[in-house]
Amino acid sequence: MMETLHRYGPDLLTGFGFTLLSWALGTVLGLALGFVIEIARRFGPRALGYPIRAYVEFIRGTPFLVQLFVLYYGGPLIGLRLDALPAGILGLTIYGSAYFTEILRAGFDAVPLGQIEAARAIGFRNTTIVMRIMVPVMMVSALPALVNFAIILTKETVILSMITVPEIMFQTQTMMSETFAFVTPILILALFFWGFIETISRFGRRLERRFTHYLIDRT
Amino acid sequence: MTNQQTAPASAHLRNVCKFYGPFQALKDVSLDIPPGKVTCLIGPSGSGKSTLLRCINVLEMYDSGEVRIDDQLIGYDSPGGKPMAPRRLREMRREIGMVFQQFNLWPHMTALQNVTEGLERVRGLSRAEAQSRAREALAKVGLADKESNHPSHLSGGQLQRVAIARAIAMEPRIMLFDEPTSALDPELVGEVLGVMKQLAAEGMTMVVVTHEMGFAAHVADRVVFMERGEIVATGSPREVFDAPSDPRLASFLQGYRERNSLDF
Repeated sequence: MMETLHRYGPDLLTGFGFTLLSWALGTVLGLALGFVIEIARRFGPRALGYPIRAYVEFIRGTPFLVQLFVLYYGGPLIGLRLDALPAGILGLTIYGSAYFTEILRAGFDAVPLGQIEAARAIGFRNTTIVMRIMVPVMMVSALPALVNFAIILTKETVILSMITVPEIMFQTQTMMSETFAFVTPILILALFFWGFIETISRFGRRLERRFTHYLIDRT
Repeated sequence: MTNQQTAPASAHLRNVCKFYGPFQALKDVSLDIPPGKVTCLIGPSGSGKSTLLRCINVLEMYDSGEVRIDDQLIGYDSPGGKPMAPRRLREMRREIGMVFQQFNLWPHMTALQNVTEGLERVRGLSRAEAQSRAREALAKVGLADKESNHPSHLSGGQLQRVAIARAIAMEPRIMLFDEPTSALDPELVGEVLGVMKQLAAEGMTMVVVTHEMGFAAHVADRVVFMERGEIVATGSPREVFDAPSDPRLASFLQGYRERNSLDF
C-alpha cells in the first residue's frame, strides 16, 4: 500500500491542486456573478426580471452534470471552444451564481427598509448604500447560507472529472483502474474532502464572528 | 449665496396629491413652512401626516402638485415634468435632515461611525474632519461618552439622540421629524424632546409629526391639524389648542385629553 501511495501520491497532490483551484475560482466568480445578477434585478430595469428568473430556474432545475456537458460538448456548436479546466470553472461559476443570487436576494430583502431610507435621506448614492449598509447588514443572516453553499460546491467539483479535468476524483479513478484497489483510494478521497470542508467551516465561523461582533454583548 | 447655503430653509407645498393605488393619502395639500420656525403636524393615525413629511424629501414621490425647498422644486425637474435626476435629488436631500420613528441607525456601525458615514461619503470630509464634527454633534445631544457604542448597546432615547446627531452633523437647513418619540418608553421621551427644543431655540426650520401635544403646545410656532389626507386647521398653538374652530379638531383634542387625562 505504501508503494501505491508512493507511486500515486504526486498525482493525487496534483489532483488536489486542481480541485482547490476549480473550487476557489468557481466559488469566487460564482459569488461575484450572483451578486451582479442580484444588483441588476434589484436596481436595473424591470424588464430584466423575467430573463434573470428564467436563468436562475433553469440552472437550479437541471443537474450540474448536464449543464457541464452542454457547456463542454455543446459549446463548440456556438463557437465556445473551451479546454476542460476553463469549461469546468465556468460551469461551476454559472451553477454557483444561480444559488448565490437567491441567497443574496433573501439577505437583501431582510435589510430593514428604514436603514436604507435613512441613507437615502442623507443623500447616499445607491452604490454606497449597497456596499456600506446593505452588504454588511445582510451578512449577519446570509453568511451561514453562503458558506453552506460554498461547501456544497466543493463536492460538485468531482463532477468535473467527467469532462477530464485532472482533479482529485479523476486521479483517484485512474489510480483505481490501474491498481484494482478500490477501498484505499476512495477512503483517501473521503478524508481529503472531510479535511477540506472542515477548514472551510472554520473559516466561515470566523467570518461570521467578524460580521456579527456588534451583536455580541461585551459587558 | 453662501449665506443661503447655511440659512434655515423654507418649504412650500402646492396642491400636493399622493395615491397608494386607489387610496388617496394626500388630497390637494398646500402648506407653507416658514424658515427658522417649528411646524408641528398633528392628527389621527392614517391622516397623511407622515406621508406629507416624506414628500418633502421625496422618500415618497408625490403624484401631482409641487414641493419646493425655498424656491427650488424637489421631486420633479419641472412642474408636472419628469422625476428629477437622482444626482440632483441627492444634492437637495443633503440640505434636509430626517429623524425617524424607528431611529434607523445602522447596526454594524458605532454611534460615531453612524454620524461620520454621511460626512465622509456625502459631504466628502476627511476621516479626521468627519470625526471631529461628529464628536461635536454627539456632544450636543449629550452622548459624547457613547461614541464607541454600537446601537445594540444604547437605549431607545440614546438611539434617537444619535439619529438626531447624525442628521444635524450634515448641517441641514431644514429638519424633518417623523414621530420621533412614538417608539420610546415614556420615561425616555423627555431626553429626545429636550434636544429638539434646543434645536428649535437655535432657529432650525423643523417639521415635526408628533403625538406629543405638550411639545406641540410649548415649542411649535405653528400647528397643522390633518385628517383624511387634508389640512383641516392651522394656527398658533394657542389658536389650535385653546380655541379649536373646527369640530373635527375639537373632537380629536377631546379624545386626546380623555386618553391622557391632563391639560395643556
